[in-house]
Amino acid sequence: MAKPKVAFYWCASCGGCEEAIVDLAENILPVVEAVDIVLWPVALDFKRKDIEAMKDGEIAVSFINGAIRSEEQEEMVKLLRRKSQIVIAFGSCAYLGGIPGLANLFTRQEILDTVYFDAPSVVNPNKILPQLATDMGEGEVTLPELHECVKTLDQVIAVEYYIPGCAPPPDLISEALTAILEGKLPAVGSVLAPQKTLCDTCPRKDSKPEKISVSEVKRMAFTQIPDDKCFLSEGVICLGPATISGCGTRCINANMPCRGCFGPSKAVKDQGAKFLSAFASLIDSEDEEEIKKITDSVIDPAGLFYMFSLPSSLKAKFFEREV
Amino acid sequence: MGKTIVIDPITRLEGHGKINIFLNDEGNVAKAVFQVPELRGFEQFCKGRLAEEVARITTRICGV
Ligand code: SF4
Ligand code: SF4
Repeated sequence: MAKPKVAFYWCASCGGCEEAIVDLAENILPVVEAVDIVLWPVALDFKRKDIEAMKDGEIAVSFINGAIRSEEQEEMVKLLRRKSQIVIAFGSCAYLGGIPGLANLFTRQEILDTVYFDAPSVVNPNKILPQLATDMGEGEVTLPELHECVKTLDQVIAVEYYIPGCAPPPDLISEALTAILEGKLPAVGSVLAPQKTLCDTCPRKDSKPEKISVSEVKRMAFTQIPDDKCFLSEGVICLGPATISGCGTRCINANMPCRGCFGPSKAVKDQGAKFLSAFASLIDSEDEEEIKKITDSVIDPAGLFYMFSLPSSLKAKFFEREV
Repeated sequence: MGKTIVIDPITRLEGHGKINIFLNDEGNVAKAVFQVPELRGFEQFCKGRLAEEVARITTRICGV
């Protein structure tokens, strides 16, 4: 029997998801043995035309990482969608928008202005901006159009499964690969990670009182948190209650609060709103003015509550309102 | 006008890249253009973030 064909592709990403696959170390060998990799730009020299030449549905599974930020990325994932039976959104950026999704706090124009004109290290006296088409004399070169806003993969194509994490940890990737190879995948639409909250698996959870009450929001930069104390109960924003587990509490172990890269449970549409409602119930006051004082003391709530999930939020384009 | 060779995407490296090589009538390289068809905009979206959070944002510029 022919081996199932598998594709790996990246969009607006950092390469960390590719690295996560390489981090499977010797566990990758049985996978490579069992499948035929037909696209993996970081490691193998296959081109778009190789995929175009395939029959629809010929690829068993495409793992796509990165957010969708440009016309080229959108075209490429639509092509992979046509050629694949299963598409997996791999990592926080494909699943929720991820760090590149923070760009949705600004307009495309603001981003271009900063990157090409205003950043202190930029020298661009002729005010050159990337063009969709440029005549080089000998011929034309083209660039894909940058979208006005960043999208998650499932805002562009249908997606069967999600593997969360920035980057996804090797054990979750291994489990997903095993499930695929053994044909034991769960219901379509599933997030391939434990659905318990991060708090449920947190080594600091025992220090969390029955009822947390927050009277002041503190910044990590100016606060010392003992390494066995729950961040939230010490007044530091931690997205543990609005985030699923499976990461191995990586940030917590490094004495940093969670920023939610695993995303919320699948039942929750908007991770930041979920956190906000959990957080609101922790505020230790009945007095409206005092409540306002406490909530106002959160600096950059959009960046904190949506660090990895802005494009997936109900208000995906935050630049349309004041932030 | 000679042939054009397009290498898109450039593979086996981290990142997105594209090369157009324009050949002259003798088949020699007249011009070669390297382009990076990607932009995420860290320079802009790091603005307004808490200083202590920037380390975990900028580590996502390149994860290799
Ligand atoms: S809020 Fe954060 S520190 Fe506290 S238990 Fe949850 S994940 Fe752990
Ligand atoms: S602690 Fe939170 S932000 Fe850190 S790796 Fe885990 S889910 Fe992601």
